[in-house]
Amino acid sequence: MINIQRLSILTQFELIRIFKTKNGLIALATFCAVWFVLLYYMISSATEIIFSDGFKMIATTLFGALGLSALLEWQVAEFSIYWLVAVYSFPLFALFAASDQTCSDKARGTLRFITLRATRSEILLGRFLGQYIILVILVFLTLTACVALATIRDAALFVPSIKQALVLFIELSIIISPFIALMSFLNSLLSSAKMSIVMSILFYTVGALLIAYIQFQFNSGEFLNYIFPGTQISRVVSLQNLDFMHYFIPLVQSVVLLFVANLLLKRASL
Amino acid sequence: MNYPEKSLIHVDNLTKSFGDHLALNNISFSLEKGQPIALVGPNGAGKTTLFSLMCGYLLPDSGSVSIAGITAGNEKLFGRLAALPQDAQFDPRFTISHQLKFYAQLQGFSRKNASIEAERTLDLVGLSDTLRAKPDELSHGMRKRVAIAQTLIGTPEIVMLDEATAGLDPINAREVRELVSSLSADITFILSSHDLTELERLCSQVLYLEKGQLQQHQSLQSEDSARYITLRMKQPYDNFLQLVQNVSSVVSVKQTQSNEFLITSTKTPTEETPVDLEILQLCHQQKWQYSQLTNGKTLENQLF
Repeated sequence: MINIQRLSILTQFELIRIFKTKNGLIALATFCAVWFVLLYYMISSATEIIFSDGFKMIATTLFGALGLSALLEWQVAEFSIYWLVAVYSFPLFALFAASDQTCSDKARGTLRFITLRATRSEILLGRFLGQYIILVILVFLTLTACVALATIRDAALFVPSIKQALVLFIELSIIISPFIALMSFLNSLLSSAKMSIVMSILFYTVGALLIAYIQFQFNSGEFLNYIFPGTQISRVVSLQNLDFMHYFIPLVQSVVLLFVANLLLKRASL
Repeated sequence: MNYPEKSLIHVDNLTKSFGDHLALNNISFSLEKGQPIALVGPNGAGKTTLFSLMCGYLLPDSGSVSIAGITAGNEKLFGRLAALPQDAQFDPRFTISHQLKFYAQLQGFSRKNASIEAERTLDLVGLSDTLRAKPDELSHGMRKRVAIAQTLIGTPEIVMLDEATAGLDPINAREVRELVSSLSADITFILSSHDLTELERLCSQVLYLEKGQLQQHQSLQSEDSARYITLRMKQPYDNFLQLVQNVSSVVSVKQTQSNEFLITSTKTPTEETPVDLEILQLCHQQKWQYSQLTNGKTLENQLF
């Protein structure tokens, strides 16, 4: 059984880790600086390019081939670029940001102090939720900045910006979840954050090659792609014709990864 | 499973191995609530493994550990069992106060009471001025005492201290011993240490592990010990052995260390002319200087 009070304390501690410690604030400042550059130079200036007729012709052809032409129809052009950047960068950022959920504490022995006061399942879930909330806050902050950017350009875009931001907030919040759960899983196996990142890279490279080989050899095994968090991204990036599955896949991936991580952590030697 | 009536800790056929190395080999014992208990053994004897199994850090290969009738590692033991694991460190990113408050909150303290508890426990180990410090700003000894402070959060019934005084200077080590001694009326301490003199001062029961097996489990105040006296002289004396052996109630005198002797007598110190008084009179007559006279065997002599 999960004790909600202890779970809440563990989750809050993760938030403090990012918002009140020097290392956390440095990571946060770096994130803000990168997004400032993206918003100010790329997204803001790209809006002018998008509105130019020359770009529209090229983009319609290119985006049409990729199934993304609908993005050009968005009323707030800033969000078209924001979405293209965010949908791929946030999952990647999630892998790095959530790479040290239990590793350091396990290596340092701090987990021994905590496991006399909270169950391993509570620690795992608390850390996952903490990291998830941090990333959702960061998504919210970048969307708020994007709304501000669009509103500064044209005040009439405020309401459409809010509506669009809400849609993207939900989409991004769902997309990042299995990436954090993947790091929870790797953390329960490994004892260093760096190794967790290396393993996640190998998982996506060697794992993908292996599955491609299996599919080639047996001419089946499409379902194996579902082991990769983010497998649905290429289908949802256009935000058109979305069905229940595009929410269901990341949700199931998160639950399965956390379930396996819990089994491993429960049996792990501390 | 049936436990002895007063049993606080019950270990039943416990076995744990790491690869090919058998760290604990089918050990069983019961410990009662009360005075501190010593866990003794050479390096690699399995002391830390036993500690880790009792705290639930490790799962046994076979057998079981039960604490107050509850399986080790079960959440029902949260707040009742505390431990100072060997080499466990605090998170260097947070202040001591923050981490102790966090642990107190996990144990059910409100935010406000957790602050009070953090201050109280740090005060107990004499480190109340380190509340705002981060672990890296403290010396090894101070960090160890802070780790002891975290074991005292709330009202634990059992506190397990693995090498609590290792690396501490004599003054701090004495303070830790005094702390254990002062709290042992309410808390059952289980102490692991290589310092047998320290354990002897504090503990009434001893568990001796060697090569993963329980070699001895005994009380240090056994009736048998009353027949022994350990006498430590300040310097060697030529005719010491001969004259002590001539004391009527002395059965044998054995030199255990350079100036330390284990005297076996037929009498106990409670009899009319106690043997210890006879020996002291002899020392006085011969103008011998002694540094220590102890009733019974030292822990070292009992074990080895």
